[in-house]
Amino acid sequence: MGAYLIRRFLQSILVFFLVLIFTFSLPYFEPGGLNAIAIDILGNHAPPATIHAFNVTNGFTENYFVRLWQYVDGLIFHGSLGYSYKTSQPVWTIIGIYVPRTIWLALISLVLTIVIALPLGLIQAARRNTFLDYSATSVLFIMYGIPAFLLCLLLQSFFSYGITHLPLPPTSINAFQIFTDPVPFILPVASLTLLSLAFLSRFMRSAVLDVLVQDYIRTAKAKGCSELRVLARHAFRNAIGPIIIILGVFLPGLLGGALIIEYSFNYQGLGYETVASALNLDTPTVLGITLLVTIFTLLGNLLADIMLGVVNPRVRVEGK
Amino acid sequence: MSGLGDLPFPPADTLTLETSDESTQSTAVIPMWRQRLRIFRQNKLAMASAGYLVFIVLLCFLGPRIHPTNQTNQAQALLQTINAAPSAHDWLGTDISGYDVLGRIMYGGEYSLTLGAVAGLITIVVGTLYGMVAGFVGGITDSILMRLLDAFLSIPLLFLLITLVTIFPPSTAVIITIIGVTGWFANARIIRGDALLIRKLEYTQAAQAMGASRWHIIRRHVFPNSMSNIVTVATFSVADAILFLTTLGYLGLGIPLPGTDWGTMLSNSSQNLANGFWWQIYPTAIIFILVIVAITYIGEALRDAFEVRLLER
Repeated sequence: MGAYLIRRFLQSILVFFLVLIFTFSLPYFEPGGLNAIAIDILGNHAPPATIHAFNVTNGFTENYFVRLWQYVDGLIFHGSLGYSYKTSQPVWTIIGIYVPRTIWLALISLVLTIVIALPLGLIQAARRNTFLDYSATSVLFIMYGIPAFLLCLLLQSFFSYGITHLPLPPTSINAFQIFTDPVPFILPVASLTLLSLAFLSRFMRSAVLDVLVQDYIRTAKAKGCSELRVLARHAFRNAIGPIIIILGVFLPGLLGGALIIEYSFNYQGLGYETVASALNLDTPTVLGITLLVTIFTLLGNLLADIMLGVVNPRVRVEGK
Repeated sequence: MSGLGDLPFPPADTLTLETSDESTQSTAVIPMWRQRLRIFRQNKLAMASAGYLVFIVLLCFLGPRIHPTNQTNQAQALLQTINAAPSAHDWLGTDISGYDVLGRIMYGGEYSLTLGAVAGLITIVVGTLYGMVAGFVGGITDSILMRLLDAFLSIPLLFLLITLVTIFPPSTAVIITIIGVTGWFANARIIRGDALLIRKLEYTQAAQAMGASRWHIIRRHVFPNSMSNIVTVATFSVADAILFLTTLGYLGLGIPLPGTDWGTMLSNSSQNLANGFWWQIYPTAIIFILVIVAITYIGEALRDAFEVRLLER
């Protein structure tokens, strides 16, 4: 187990550096190269002196490898992701403002999703091919197929401007407002939860179905365990393995979904800031956020491996 | 994705399963593509989906000839009543800029459908080549290619798309390329799995033993036998490409003016959500969702049609 985790960890680091080099190199492929950036940001009529000053400030006059080293050095030893072209703030400061908002949104949705999806999938599998199973499956199938932005549009249209008048998040929020004044956050949280719910409960249902045909379930039933006990102790614990792996893969999906939801509801989180920076052509901010989200993804996958070892003794012993 | 575990050729015992007296006597072999077409046509849902897609393509590409509307001249559009409700003149009303919504759906549909198809094709061509090379050559090449793929796959796709849109000035060609070059990662994974599987099969090894070149084996054995996955994945890729294009459009990063796409339309219309101008959102949204659903059903039916085990021999 230990050796396997170390190998996975080293692999993740390698992948991270590949991503870093990739995202760092991207601006070089901009038509016109780095020189075009100054014109994009400062406008067509900027005097040459201003452009030169911009290039020097952002280090564009250095060569590729020097800049790459500065970027890596800044990130690893000084925790710096460069400076925004637009506001000249450090990218970390910008990220620091927006991350907590997204984290709370994503975490609350994740908890809600798990609390609803796992029992739902379990019940669906246990009551397979009944009316309950069919109706849940068809509702979830629609949820699964509908694009995130359309779900947001429809929910807003129904619940904010239609049958009810739920308020939407205010334009300026602080990180903990979601706890002190939760009503405006109902729709964003509901959208993100619904999006992930369909995905997770589908997997849970099929994972439990795989488990329910096993011999030990029959044995448990034969020795007189109650159905609840069979489901909760035997089926659930064996089905949870695949789900944990899925959860690791799920994290980037959640952040991507959060991006669209934040944009739709004007919820000023990390995703909203990504789109806003993209529209402002603020490359360092977009690259910094992308790199951060990639780290989240890699950590999620790694965490899934560790958690799998915790819940499944076989993984611990066999080492793979 | 499913289909990975399925062997691309039938187990020996099912080969003779359908052999009745009549079929052994008839010398005329039904061409495989015709059998596939028959299996596809038996799927009612897929046929309805195909019909719907044909209808939408005709609507978008021929509709503007029958029902010509101004879709490019912003100044002239603004002279019309903006946000007008549906009427005999504008069947689906007008939008926030005064464009006729029905005409806008057709005009935006031309972009959405064409771009989706072209970008989807790019993802499948690149994904297939990459996956075939990785899976078939194997060894150190495979390791390197797969680590690179891991790196690409660990950047959440939407963030990667937005990064690229920031760096490259948006134009129709750039957006096609961006969706094309970011969409193939998962495809390459699937095709590589197929190639790995087929490489181990006896007929490939037999061909290898007889001295066939690598290129010959890829062309004659690996490629035809992973065709079912390639076609299915290609179909889903087109749906994904349309979805990503629409999402980018919704985020305000879509086709620049004077062009438009369904996502940009929905994005503009969402400003009028509070006013209840349903005609600006629901027709576009419903047409768009049904296109995605239809392509998905067609993909599933194609997978069945290419499943060799369902063919008669």
